[in-house]
Amino acid sequence: MMADTNPVPSTVSGDFEPRIVAFLCNWCSYAGADLAGISRIQYPPSIRVVRVPCSGRVDPFYILKALQQGADGVLVSGCHPGDCHYLTGNYVARRRFAVLHDLLGFFGIEPGRVSFSWVSAAEGERFAEVVREVTERVRALGPSNRLADARLTEKAERAG
Amino acid sequence: MPRPTAVEQQLRARARELLEKREVAGVLGFRAGTLPGTCVPFLATEPGDADRLVLNRDCAANLAAWLPRLRHRGRIAVVARGPDSRSIVNLVKENQVERDRLHIIGVADPDDTQPVRNPVVFDEFLGERAPDSPPDDYADIREFEALPPAERWQALLDELSRCIRCYACRQVCPNCYCPTCFVDASRPAWVGRTPDPSDNVLFHMVRAIHMAGRCVECGACAKACPIGIPLMIINRKVSLIVRDRFGSVPGTDPDAPLPLTAFDSEDREEFIR
Repeated sequence: MMADTNPVPSTVSGDFEPRIVAFLCNWCSYAGADLAGISRIQYPPSIRVVRVPCSGRVDPFYILKALQQGADGVLVSGCHPGDCHYLTGNYVARRRFAVLHDLLGFFGIEPGRVSFSWVSAAEGERFAEVVREVTERVRALGPSNRLADARLTEKAERAG
Repeated sequence: MPRPTAVEQQLRARARELLEKREVAGVLGFRAGTLPGTCVPFLATEPGDADRLVLNRDCAANLAAWLPRLRHRGRIAVVARGPDSRSIVNLVKENQVERDRLHIIGVADPDDTQPVRNPVVFDEFLGERAPDSPPDDYADIREFEALPPAERWQALLDELSRCIRCYACRQVCPNCYCPTCFVDASRPAWVGRTPDPSDNVLFHMVRAIHMAGRCVECGACAKACPIGIPLMIINRKVSLIVRDRFGSVPGTDPDAPLPLTAFDSEDREEFIR
């Protein structure tokens, strides 16, 4: 996972442009992103999308691993409650994300580093709005440094 | 050898009886360790083994952790204090242990710092019941949470950076029975093998998440840690999250589903946009 992520820190080019990994469920949020695209709705090019079958497929580990491997933020988005293609996947996911959310706060990880949202296939504008909001929040926080693997940053610095 | 206590005498007599009558293949309890002040898990399989059984405050392990690997041994009697019994409840729910192949000998936990000292389930009870502990207010966790986030991060990073990744915490945990742990998987290698701080934090955070709704706060992991990382602060935070959000206290209700395999359509979602 994330093996081909460019390890160069996002601050190298001067202005900080956050790198955000977005886990989007196939049935709602991914389609919502698609709708935003075909509707030509503008949003920051900060997200790297990983399409997953359901928000219930997103192990909290993936989120932490993304942060460790150099993502400045993570967005997880799925179907609205009650709309899950698999009926209850997002409800079960919601409990897992609640535990992760509270645990991240306990560890002193900035709130806003990891965001969760529900976006339906019909909500192209809402998807763009979520990405704008998440990008601004992560931009304001600056590069992620708490969970990030310092060895990757050092390697990138050595490589210039 | 110290004189056996009244409960130990009862326990030895009962274990001897169960083994003589061949009602069980073994009695899982504790015996004295090779160092003074230590106890180790012990499976008594012959009537003559019964007198080696001990029960005291040095019995740090959670005996439920040994039950999944004893499944092929037939019917097993297990000495269960509060935490052991709560873990047995969880393991039965997770289909790791068959309840009707266990004979649970309930005893009060000699450790009076345990939040639940009396067993939740048992087939017979030996000795006196312990007085009920006051409800846990998680004062230690709330005190830690009152620190600014940067200080919390630094404190936890400092502690977890000392981890040598021996996985003793995992080996003694009754919740950790996966044939291949996520830290041992090599294709893909989810977590780096090195004791680098970032790998250590990743391991301990994911371990904590795997404990959610399952940890009974027996403290075996913290006692097993060779360098004394205070793991209970993380485990107890997870317990507090699960109690506050889902109203669940792990292992206390044999009929309730595990909180992270269930859901309520009205679960709070203030953190989701």
